[in-house]
Amino acid sequence: MALAQHMVGRSLGDRVILGAVVALAALWIAPVAWVVIVSFKPNSELMMSTASALHPPYTLKNYTDVAATSGVFHWFLNSIIVAGGATTATLILASLAGYGFARTDFPFRNVLFVLVLLGLAVPEQALIIARHQLFTDWKLHNTYIALILPGLSNAFGVFLMTQYFRSIPKDIDEAAMLDNASRFKIFWRVLLPLTIPAQATLGIFTFLTYWNDYLWPLISATRPEMFTLTVGIASTQTNFAQSEGLGFLMAQAVFAGLPVFIVYLFFQRYIVQAVAGAAIR
Amino acid sequence: MNASVWPNAGVANKPAVTEDALKIFTTLLLASVALIGGAGLSFGADKTEISVARFFGACEADYGNVTDVNKGYGECGIITAMMNKFNAESPDTHVKVDIVEWPGYDQLTARIRSGEPPTISVMHESVISDYQSRGLLEPLDDGLKAVGIVASDFTAAAKAGVIKDGKIFALPFDTHTWLWHINLNLFKQAGLIDSAGGAILPKSANELLAQAKQFKEKTGKPYFIMVLANETAAYTRTFDTLLYQQGADFFADPNKVKFASPEGKTALTLLKTLYDNGDITKNEDYSATVSGFAAGEGGVMINGTWLVNDYVVEAKKPGVPLSNGYAVAPFPQLYANPKVWADGHSWVILKANLTDAQRKSAYSFLKFLWDNDFQWARTGHLPASQKVIDSADFKALPFRSVLAPLSVNGTALPAAVRHQFGVQDIEGEEVASAMRGDKTIDAALADMEDRVNKLLQSK
Repeated sequence: MALAQHMVGRSLGDRVILGAVVALAALWIAPVAWVVIVSFKPNSELMMSTASALHPPYTLKNYTDVAATSGVFHWFLNSIIVAGGATTATLILASLAGYGFARTDFPFRNVLFVLVLLGLAVPEQALIIARHQLFTDWKLHNTYIALILPGLSNAFGVFLMTQYFRSIPKDIDEAAMLDNASRFKIFWRVLLPLTIPAQATLGIFTFLTYWNDYLWPLISATRPEMFTLTVGIASTQTNFAQSEGLGFLMAQAVFAGLPVFIVYLFFQRYIVQAVAGAAIR
Repeated sequence: MNASVWPNAGVANKPAVTEDALKIFTTLLLASVALIGGAGLSFGADKTEISVARFFGACEADYGNVTDVNKGYGECGIITAMMNKFNAESPDTHVKVDIVEWPGYDQLTARIRSGEPPTISVMHESVISDYQSRGLLEPLDDGLKAVGIVASDFTAAAKAGVIKDGKIFALPFDTHTWLWHINLNLFKQAGLIDSAGGAILPKSANELLAQAKQFKEKTGKPYFIMVLANETAAYTRTFDTLLYQQGADFFADPNKVKFASPEGKTALTLLKTLYDNGDITKNEDYSATVSGFAAGEGGVMINGTWLVNDYVVEAKKPGVPLSNGYAVAPFPQLYANPKVWADGHSWVILKANLTDAQRKSAYSFLKFLWDNDFQWARTGHLPASQKVIDSADFKALPFRSVLAPLSVNGTALPAAVRHQFGVQDIEGEEVASAMRGDKTIDAALADMEDRVNKLLQSK
């Protein structure tokens, strides 16, 4: 009905485009909808036929099973602490570094900036064994510090914030200086608020990266009480979960994905703004 | 770009950081530090605590408080009930269960490297060599003997799986192997049922091809349902079985494999012929084959011991394709001998600075597991205890008397072969390439041999 209303009074070209967009959206949403539907089906039925997902009976048991797993809320809290802590720390560090590269002058600044950018080209997998060794020597495994620290050297964050600070006219700084504002005050009160879209983008990407991270927590947080949600829910899967526990598996996916969904829901405006802004610049 | 944004700012007149700003900044930093501050859980108990790492999943909602192992069902239910029972009954030991995602070896290796290994871990017998050859496992001979377990109690397959260099490095728990799950209703339709109502199974490769042809003509369906998508293990297990049955000693030297052989070519040719003839379902992943067999898509599903119970239950339902029409048999003997691929779950004690109390607790737990091997056999896996295999209780379980010979015929790669999971992946990829026609059979065998040998040269 809503689609029909949108079609009224539109040109044929617009209708074709709108129809194509709706079809693509439906195509995108289909697997998500399938995950949700399957999560409400008994595992034993799904094992014998996944087509059974299209008709009753449905059940909440998969969700109550997720909730009944003793560690699940602790893992959830761990993920919140790790993703939240890392996001906060990344925003602080990347903002300070971005401001430094964009607005101050110091020896070897450009060389250092290039070195930071080179960090973008190094995949995590290339460093992970050396990093594990380092954290072993520091006796930091199975701590929140070990889960948060590695991602704080965020080359993308520094690059993003540097470019954003550079795009702000220096006249603003100079006007504030005439008002006798300190350097920190200019950074904190004048420039930082102007970078909110970039902060939001960086914050969301950082949060989601940490929330979804699997490999590093798998080998660093090896005690169940230190598992993050990704590692924790993976540990609860039976050996042949894809056939014997499909409904439970999907309920876990929905449970783990909800916070991410909520983050996107509340902050999508900032993501769109920042990406569009970056494109224009 | 290089000009200072503070052109007039010298040391003397550089703007001062205000007190307010410092407060805010410090608050933020402290908040971050507080967020990343570590917090640990502690376990307070009078008992000696040992940690046991295992996969098999978590099912606390159904079995979190169950201590009667008879009430457990499936791998997860039975192992959970077992551990609950041990903790409830042991006067001096508490087992802290660390559940890991299957198969868990990345995590185990990381734990060992970081100096925090679990006391005991479940381990596939095919993986023991990787850890034992690096000196990471405790030999268990003396400890097991002290609690009344000796190697002569083990089945032949279990002995081969856990004894390395003449020492026991793991307590065997089961043998799992490759079976033919059979849809008797379709076999009947195909005219492949004997006078006793059992399935007529092939006794040679030619008989197999003839049966497959007859089956397709009579039922319109493929003879085999096989896992061919997103999978390497299934290809390898079938291929190895065909090699074993021809007597190919492809790992005569544990550090150098020989796949490019007449036996290799015969095995791969048979699989490719079945594939090309349309006698195998195509493009199905693990879960598709499991549900496909239940839906009657084909006559035989080649899969493991762990599915027996589920299909027994399915066959009891009225009005489904398997109704009163399910049987299971060891992989039939197509060549000179009846060997079949096998592996097993076992329990190892990791080398660590255990106290005497912890070591004693570890062996008492192993003894408990051994005493409950029959319960574990209810999963469908074959027991590692010869006494259990021979018992009336075991033989009374569905189809177990038919499957019992697999505790002798089940064959693993030689104990000294390292990187067996890696070998399995390479074999599977090359067998798949040949079956699909991406490579010739000769090229696939040559590449398989070359890649595995390169892997075996690595540490």
